[in-house]
Amino acid sequence: MKPLLLIFLISGAAAVRAQSAREAAPIDLTGNWVSIVTEDWRWRMTTPLKGDAASIPYKPEARKVIDAWDPAKDDAAGLQCKAYGAPAVMRIPGRLRISWQDESTLKIELDQGRQTRLFHFGAKPFQMPAASWQGYSAARWEAPASPQGNGLPVGISPRFGAHSRSLEVSTTDLREGYLRRNGVPYSDKATVTEYYDLFQEPGGDTWFTVTTVVTDPVYLYTPFVTTTDFRKEPDGSIFSPAPCSTR
Amino acid sequence: MIRRGGFFASLAAIAMSLTPAHAQVDFSGAWAPLFHEDLPERIPGPELGDYMGIPLNDAARLRADSYDADRISVVSEYQCRPHGGDYSMRGLSNMRIDAVIDPVTQQLVAWHTRMGFQEMERTIWLDDRQHPGPLAPHTWQGFSTARWDGNMMNVYTTHLKENYMRRNGLPRSDRATFTEHWIRHGNYLTVVTVITDPVFLTEPLERSQSWVLDPGQRMGRDICEYNQEVPKPRPDYVPSHMPDTNPFLKEVAEWYGLASGVLRGGAETMYPEYRQKIGKPEQPKEKCDRYCNCGAADNPTCLVAPRSSR
Amino acid sequence: MSILLKTVWAGLALVACLTAQQPDFDKVDMQVQHVKGGVYMMTGAGGNTAVQVGNDGVLIVDTQFAPLAQKLMTEIRKLNRGPVLFIVNTHFHPDHVGGNAALAQMIGAARGPGRSDGDAPLKIVANENVLNRLTQKVPNQPPFPDAGLPVDEYFTPFKDLHMNGEAVFLYHEPKAHTDGDSVVLFRGSDVVVTGDIFTPGGYPFLDVEHGGTVQGEIAALDHILELTVPAKTQEGGTYVIPGHGRICDEADVVEFRDMVVIIRDRIQDMVKRDMTLDQIKAARPTRDYDTEYMGPGSFVKADQFVEAIYKSLTQKSK
Repeated sequence: MKPLLLIFLISGAAAVRAQSAREAAPIDLTGNWVSIVTEDWRWRMTTPLKGDAASIPYKPEARKVIDAWDPAKDDAAGLQCKAYGAPAVMRIPGRLRISWQDESTLKIELDQGRQTRLFHFGAKPFQMPAASWQGYSAARWEAPASPQGNGLPVGISPRFGAHSRSLEVSTTDLREGYLRRNGVPYSDKATVTEYYDLFQEPGGDTWFTVTTVVTDPVYLYTPFVTTTDFRKEPDGSIFSPAPCSTR
Repeated sequence: MIRRGGFFASLAAIAMSLTPAHAQVDFSGAWAPLFHEDLPERIPGPELGDYMGIPLNDAARLRADSYDADRISVVSEYQCRPHGGDYSMRGLSNMRIDAVIDPVTQQLVAWHTRMGFQEMERTIWLDDRQHPGPLAPHTWQGFSTARWDGNMMNVYTTHLKENYMRRNGLPRSDRATFTEHWIRHGNYLTVVTVITDPVFLTEPLERSQSWVLDPGQRMGRDICEYNQEVPKPRPDYVPSHMPDTNPFLKEVAEWYGLASGVLRGGAETMYPEYRQKIGKPEQPKEKCDRYCNCGAADNPTCLVAPRSSR
Repeated sequence: MSILLKTVWAGLALVACLTAQQPDFDKVDMQVQHVKGGVYMMTGAGGNTAVQVGNDGVLIVDTQFAPLAQKLMTEIRKLNRGPVLFIVNTHFHPDHVGGNAALAQMIGAARGPGRSDGDAPLKIVANENVLNRLTQKVPNQPPFPDAGLPVDEYFTPFKDLHMNGEAVFLYHEPKAHTDGDSVVLFRGSDVVVTGDIFTPGGYPFLDVEHGGTVQGEIAALDHILELTVPAKTQEGGTYVIPGHGRICDEADVVEFRDMVVIIRDRIQDMVKRDMTLDQIKAARPTRDYDTEYMGPGSFVKADQFVEAIYKSLTQKSK
């Protein structure tokens, strides 16, 4: 009896291990998406006035940088993409194409700034790439919360939340950039945690919301949390790649 | 003994792998709203004439253009009016969420929310009950039922009283319904709200907002009593602007250096391609001088007056 | 055309309009909702009926259409088997008084020859202008049945009675929806019945030809707001049974009153600028309220509402 039991357990465990990130995906984020801008409108749809950092929980150190913003200088220095880094790029009104680059890499192509983000499932590389606008994004299908943080059950009662439908992404190794197009800064010590959640509306529309948590010990006194919403489109016919712009 | 222990360990392993995936998340606790988006609108308040990003129709536009903010003091019945169930999730005050547990089955049957502002209370039923019929009274918070989809709670609310989409006169009718999608990630709660209003919207209005768990918060009472504070010029006086006469509708464009056309809102203003249509501001401006440091360390709740009000 | 003839034609048009709203009565379901205390609302076709029940028996406010009388009585008897002592009419329109005679006859028949003389007779109560309107001769229309006439009329600003353990007030609201409107307050149950002064989801029908005016309508709505007291967070408390539509409370009446005042103000402004009625209609002063107030159940169109307000205002200024 015992040998059969062990064979069953081993084969079951082997079957679980064989699933790729793509196969294990509890939600399907692939497709074409458009950002719907109903919040932070004038900070996203237009370039806000110099010095306007409303809603951002910035430290006094950031104010000097905010007031010194000079788009012409950024242009001259080839820093047009400073506002298109991972902490901010999802806030820029535009369209996305999401697809699987391979079984363990989810790719997001953004038409604004012609940016590409790669979400890597699995172990991080031994040598991390150099800091970049998009940094390195480590992804996983979010596990249920556990007091011990290791996903194992604690205590003798059954547990909630065994079926998460969220994508969790942690991004590091960022170049310093702007949280907004008008020069509200984040430093190269900033990290980003994102949660992608998919839902359907009764009318048939499919949406996802990304909750973005930017932590920056240099410029933010508390994590900066935004939620950005995208609606699925039938195709990518309106996907309109445009270069980065300082304005 | 070792063999017996190994056998029981195997049983435990099987039990773990076969545990049904209960699709519930605990939302209970004290939550503080995060105002990292639209802080000036959500705390000091939206400015007159600002309909940017709202998919409103002409009827809503005229209603909002006619709105006179005196109405909420002169019409004393409005003084203590709370937010609707949809708007209350935009924050403005802290929230406490309690689980309502059936004492016999110990199953969760509802979530009960309470906001500090105007002591707004709401029940979200999870027991598959029916919504009331069309003749039942409407309430500010409406009637809400919900279902789980994995770790997301999807809520549907009907039976709302007439209220507003923004506190600058943008109306929301009593025929509106709204859905919500609640997700908790660690100590963050995200609530997505989608309002469908056949009277005032051409498309659903979707907004999302976040809360952070705040166990140290203390929610007291907020008891409102209304009173006639401003004498009315006549008994049947209701403040409003005649159509096309409201002088305040373009202030926002001047304050923020915007083209005045963007203020009029409409569904097209929600889409990225609208950026190509935004004209030049009638009164260009270079530097911010209003609400510039809202949310900063020295002005976290934006209660300090703008640097210049005009 | 003489004023008398105009009134007669207006009466014919009104009857035609209201009877055109009548559904197939066989298919009408009488819906019953408990409102508060001893008061229920019954909705079938025509206006809402309010029913107060208790140890004394039954008081009915408004009786819908005659063919629904049996359905109405069946539902009432599920709530209370005591005597029907009062029928109160909020105004004279057929969708609110149509069942008077049929109910009275049912009640009279139930009393029968074997009943003791101790039974109190049914009283049908309304403002005297309701009786006056119902007894007016209208050409080609049969006279209103005697059995349904509100012969226990009142002509004072208000009337009170005590029924089922609570005070019941009838307030005359002059020149509001009509010239004979009554608002009924059940003081203990904390419920107000408004008749067609308040019709959430539909513009009010200002029956100018029968004494209705916008000024009186607004004054009546203001009075309703004086009678209502909300509970916590400005909802609940005093419940309001409207002439048509769902159970409401003070906040719903405020929105409705504000709508009437704002549209009145707009039209008043246009009258002051010497605009004609056609010009005012073309300006569409109700356009931001139309979708909300011309719902599936309402029958007053925007132009009718505008015209009624215009007539009220210009009649006053003459």
